[in-house]
Amino acid sequence: MLVPEFVPGIFSSMYLPAIYAGLIVGFIGLMAIAMEKRDIHILILTDIVGLAMLIIVGAVGTDLAEALILPGLVVELAEIMAISEILISREMHKIESNKKKMPKNASIFPLPLVLDMEIMTTSSNFLALVLIGYGVFLTGFTGGAVAGGGVLLYVISRKSRGLPIFVFDGISGVSGISWCLWIIGFALFFIAPNLWLLSLTLAACGLLMKVASKLGLIGILMREEFKRE
Amino acid sequence: MIDINIFFYTGIFLAIIGSLATAWGPKVKDPIVRTLNTEVASIGISLILLCYNHTLALLTLMATTVIVTLILFRAITRLEEMGADV
Repeated sequence: MLVPEFVPGIFSSMYLPAIYAGLIVGFIGLMAIAMEKRDIHILILTDIVGLAMLIIVGAVGTDLAEALILPGLVVELAEIMAISEILISREMHKIESNKKKMPKNASIFPLPLVLDMEIMTTSSNFLALVLIGYGVFLTGFTGGAVAGGGVLLYVISRKSRGLPIFVFDGISGVSGISWCLWIIGFALFFIAPNLWLLSLTLAACGLLMKVASKLGLIGILMREEFKRE
Repeated sequence: MIDINIFFYTGIFLAIIGSLATAWGPKVKDPIVRTLNTEVASIGISLILLCYNHTLALLTLMATTVIVTLILFRAITRLEEMGADV
């Protein structure tokens, strides 16, 4: 097996056990998916297959592995979000077509939860601005997480109740633009390697917008749950 | 100096045991129990990533595990309250 010399010896000795563990975990997950009938259980079991993917990618043991794990995790998160929404709406259609009565208040928390902290009404704008500014300063994945925390705080707090629908569409548009930035940066890296700083900045800004907008979408999704009395 | 292999093989053991428990463990007819069992496997993955010095990947894995668990709980409780077959 050809191992580049910058891979530490301990990592290359851990390569084979990690690969086998990943294959075993993936096999267990896929077998369980094949044997399971109900949709929500299959959705939970895809999580296990995603974890097997993480072991196999992580076994490479260089910075390349880390760069591949981050998008994998984000894509898996988006996929589980989308499929759970599809499952819920499909069950709603099934129940409505059976002319059964639909219970109105289905929620995430069994008890009504009101986030009534003073910081939500007095200084939410300031805190969100500080977090977003610091996130833009950091750029990249960490910056996206920090800025997304700011967006999440702003969305959940009381000030922004009744966010219009075009904001939601706008967030989706920003997400598309950020993918374009990321791909342009990636392609530029190979076409013109002497422009590496520009392509690195493009990719970092794209990733920042991507992560921040995703956290904002989660905030909008969760806000209806938090606002319930 | 503690041997790094201890953490690595503990991680592999936890990942395999956790995935077995998720697939065919006790009381997995309840989707909540099945979701909680995936946490065991994800702790194992965290230990493996820790051995490889993947700091950012480890932090992201922890964050996404929490969010995925919340989303799955939301889906499960919604489906149960609608009276669907879970």
